[in-house]
Amino acid sequence: MRALYDMYGAALLGVILRITQHTELAEDLLQETFLKIWHAAEKYDATKGRLFTWMMNIARNLAIDKLRSKDFKNSGKNQDIENNVAVIDNQKKQIINIELLGLRDLVTGLKPELSNVLEMVYYNGFTHAEAAEALNLPLGTVKTRIRTAIVELRKQFN
Amino acid sequence: MEEHKAYIESGILELYVLGQLSAPEMLEVERMAASAPEIKRELEAIEIALEAYAIENAVDPRENLFNELEAKLNPVQQTSFSIQPPPPVRVEQRSNKSLIYALAACVGLLVVSGIALINAHVELGKAQQQIIALRTETDRYAKGMNVLKQTNTELQTVADMIDDPNWAIVQLAGTRTSPASKMMVYWNRKSQDVVLDKSRMKLPENDQAHQYQLWALVGGKPVDLGVFDVKTDSAQILLRMKEIPNAEAFAVTLEKRGGSVNPTMDQMVVFAGVSI
Repeated sequence: MRALYDMYGAALLGVILRITQHTELAEDLLQETFLKIWHAAEKYDATKGRLFTWMMNIARNLAIDKLRSKDFKNSGKNQDIENNVAVIDNQKKQIINIELLGLRDLVTGLKPELSNVLEMVYYNGFTHAEAAEALNLPLGTVKTRIRTAIVELRKQFN
Repeated sequence: MEEHKAYIESGILELYVLGQLSAPEMLEVERMAASAPEIKRELEAIEIALEAYAIENAVDPRENLFNELEAKLNPVQQTSFSIQPPPPVRVEQRSNKSLIYALAACVGLLVVSGIALINAHVELGKAQQQIIALRTETDRYAKGMNVLKQTNTELQTVADMIDDPNWAIVQLAGTRTSPASKMMVYWNRKSQDVVLDKSRMKLPENDQAHQYQLWALVGGKPVDLGVFDVKTDSAQILLRMKEIPNAEAFAVTLEKRGGSVNPTMDQMVVFAGVSI
C-alpha cells in the first residue's frame, strides 16, 4: 500500500485537485480513494487495463460524486444562475484556479477546442454526450476531439 | 485490419479508458482488445499517455497524509468517509458482552444437560441390570420354593408313613464291597408300595454307564424292583419303586444302565433282611 501510494499518490492527487479545486477536500478524497482501492483490490482485473487507469477512474468518480453532492448542498441560493452559466463558469474557474494552484497545464498546449472537450470529460465529470450537448456539437465530433487530444498527448509523452 | 483501424479511429478506446462507456460497451471493447493485438496496443498507448499526463500534473500530498491513511486502514470499521456518525460503540460492546455471557450460559447449560443425560443413561443401565438380577433371584426363589414345597410334601408323607403301621421301615446296611453304604426302604405290606428314602441314603454316586438296581428276595429268589440313580444334587427325597407283595430281604446291586435280569452278587452294596 505504501509503495502504491508513493508511486501514484501524487499523480492521483493532481487529478483530484483539478476536479475539486480545493486542496483539503482533494487530500480527503485521496485518502478515500486509497481506502477504496484497498478494499476493492480484488476487483481489479489486469487483463482489462493498467492499474493506474483503474485507480484514476476510482479517484475521478469519487471526486466528481463529491463535487456534485457538495454543489447540490450549497445550491440553495444561486441554483438558477449556476445552472445557466455552469459550463462557462466552471471553465473560467478552472483556468483561474490552475494558475492559483501553480499547476502545469499541458492541456493548454492543445488547441482550445481540443482542451475544452478533454477538460470537460476528464475533469468536470461530463459524459461525452453531455459535453456534446453543452458545446452544441455532434456526438461524433466530441469523440473525435477527445481522441485527437489524447493523440496529441501521446506525441508529447513519447 | 481496415475494420480495426476504423474502430480505433472512432475514439471509443479513449472513452473506454476515461470510464465513459456503459457496461455492454465496455465488454465490447474488452472483447475486441482480446481478439485484436493492435487494438490492445492502442488501448495501452492511450492508458500510458493519460498516466504520463497525470504523473506530469502530479501534486505532492502533505507529508503526514499517508500516516492518517494508515490509521484509517487499520481500524476495520472505516471503509469510507461517510457522514454517518460512528456507531455507539459502548452499547455494541455491552450487547456483545451480554451476547458472550448468553453464549457462555448456553454452553454451560448444554454441558450440564449433557452430563445429566449421561448420568441418567448410566443409572438406567444400572436399574436394568438390577431388574434382571432381581428377576433371576425371583426365579431362583420360585424354584427353591417349589423344591421346598415338594420336600415338605414328601417329608409329610414320610411322617405319615411312620405313623401308619402298614409301612415297614427296612434299614439296609453296607456289604463287604461297600461297607460305608447304607439305605432306607419303606415297604407297605398292605398296598405293596416300595419307596426309597434318598435323604437317608448313603451310596457312592453312580456313573453314566451304571445304575443301582433294587432287588427283593422272595422265596430265595431275587425279584427286580427297578433301577435308580444316586446324585448328590437331586432334591427328590422319596423314590417310588415297583410294587412287591412279599419280601424276605432287600438288596441293591450296581448293574449296567437299565438294570439286569439277575443281580451281579459281587456288586451288592447294601442288604437287609426284613424283620417281622
